[in-house]
Amino acid sequence: MAGLHAVGSRRSKLMFAGSVYLGLIGMTAVFLFPLLWVIGLSLKTRLQVFAMPPLFVWQPTLENYAAVLGQADFLQAFVNSLVVSSGAVLLSLCVGVPAAYAFARFPFRGGSFLFFSLLVMRMLPPIAVLVPMYILFSKLGLTTTRFSVVLAYSTFSLPLVVWIMRGFFEDLPRELEESAWVDGASRAAAFRHVVLPLIRPGLVAASILCLQLAWNDFLFSAVLTNNATRTLPVLMAGFSGGDTGTDWGGMTASGVLVILPVLIFSFAAQRHLVAGLSSGAVKG
Amino acid sequence: MGGSTTAVRQAELRALGAAGFRTSSAQRWLDHQFARLAVLPTSAMMLLIFGIPLAFSFYLSFEGWSPEQSLFAGKFAGTANYEDLLTDPQFLASLSVTCIYTAITVATELALGLAIALLLDVDLPLIGLFRTILVVPMMITPIVAALCWKLLLDPDHGVVNYWIGSHIVWLGRPDTALISVMVVNLWQNAPYVAVLLLAGLRSLPSEPVEAAAIDGASAWQVFWHVTLPLLRPYILVALLLRTIFEFRAFDNIYVMTSGGPANATMSLSMFTYLASFVKFDLSLGAAASWMMLVMCLLLCLFFIAVLRRREAL
Repeated sequence: MAGLHAVGSRRSKLMFAGSVYLGLIGMTAVFLFPLLWVIGLSLKTRLQVFAMPPLFVWQPTLENYAAVLGQADFLQAFVNSLVVSSGAVLLSLCVGVPAAYAFARFPFRGGSFLFFSLLVMRMLPPIAVLVPMYILFSKLGLTTTRFSVVLAYSTFSLPLVVWIMRGFFEDLPRELEESAWVDGASRAAAFRHVVLPLIRPGLVAASILCLQLAWNDFLFSAVLTNNATRTLPVLMAGFSGGDTGTDWGGMTASGVLVILPVLIFSFAAQRHLVAGLSSGAVKG
Repeated sequence: MGGSTTAVRQAELRALGAAGFRTSSAQRWLDHQFARLAVLPTSAMMLLIFGIPLAFSFYLSFEGWSPEQSLFAGKFAGTANYEDLLTDPQFLASLSVTCIYTAITVATELALGLAIALLLDVDLPLIGLFRTILVVPMMITPIVAALCWKLLLDPDHGVVNYWIGSHIVWLGRPDTALISVMVVNLWQNAPYVAVLLLAGLRSLPSEPVEAAAIDGASAWQVFWHVTLPLLRPYILVALLLRTIFEFRAFDNIYVMTSGGPANATMSLSMFTYLASFVKFDLSLGAAASWMMLVMCLLLCLFFIAVLRRREAL
């Protein structure tokens, strides 16, 4: 009886594992198919793209990628995206990290109000901020500059930086800085020489998230930039003028090139995020 | 390793201190004000790029203003902009479209996300691989994701129509257009919900589940009466975040339908965008955006109140 029971439970365990795998494979197929299909389209010639029934097996070609990378428009937008994203990351880190440290270590009057308004900032719909921002920036002559977009992105990544970094600072034992203070270091020196080197994983995590935010945004860049300063998503949106047109190869190849950096960064960061969150270096 | 780094740092500092850190009164003042100084740039930025523009758009929403005028040259219009909006059938339609869109998208995202999270929570070989692969859609630039789906759903050459063997103009009919723009966000954000809920599932204590199983509860009973209630705080957070982010839906709609056909996908963000940057009626746009702000704020407060009460219990 007991033996039978054990066999039955082993079989049911196998059945369970099998059905979980089946579910996972099904989910993966559904969620990955759109992306794989589009990558496939980017490797087809114009004739193959529009073949009916669709081709599932073909000789891949890189001609679409060669064409896209030969376009000055695309390269300009790529550079703009890079400049704007890294600018936004730098600005929000420089501004947000000291604030996060203060929030974590030195409770001060008005602190929780400030922290709460930062969270609200993150929650508000971007379009609502964009309307007045556009007016004020254009009166200041900032519109169509890349700097205007950097400023816009920083407002949205700043709350993120403060939120993440505060967590990292709170996890750091207070004794580290206190011993530095006792030794005569100022608050700023202790922060720079003791605290900052220990929270590098947090900095990496925060910058990746800000980078994603800036790289993927469309709305701000669409309104605040012109043809010379536009970022990649704005260039991509140009492909969707009413009809999808006939250059599916060029469109999908550019699309793949747009998402590739984010994917690479995020997978590189996944390790850092985990390393950062379970950082043994901090707890000694 | 970490310990030795710390030790080195401390030694370094001691050396620095010996080299002449002096606690002058100026430095003591700086130390005393450290927190204030550290949050100064953040406060300044919030005020300049967030506070002042929002205050200005509040002012603007009560004015009749056109872009050729100088900033404060508009004419006071009272609540005319708001009255215009509330009597504009297009705005009212976009309000209901946004609510329907948000409710359905968030509900399906949560259901699908929970299903994925439960599958990913089982400890089996290769599960790490699935955890990595399944989050890929959420990292894709939303504009590119929407373009992908536009190609998949193309009436003549799209692979979806080929598979179902019919000729549906997905983005050309009001009902299917709304479903299509929902699907894009569902595709991108169900994995995001799954990541949030998986973190929750991993942090749950195992004892209640084991106890219930020993008491003879079926797998479904364990899930419904034990796991789900324990997971509730995480589900609420996912609900809050997704509702706020779907409420502002714009990118997918802009690329796929631009609000059409017949305003069937006109979200509030799309309406505000068109009013402000296509018709260039910026005072009307300011009024519309303030209505969005207030709705969003109310949503936040509601969810925060719910979360607080859960914590207190």
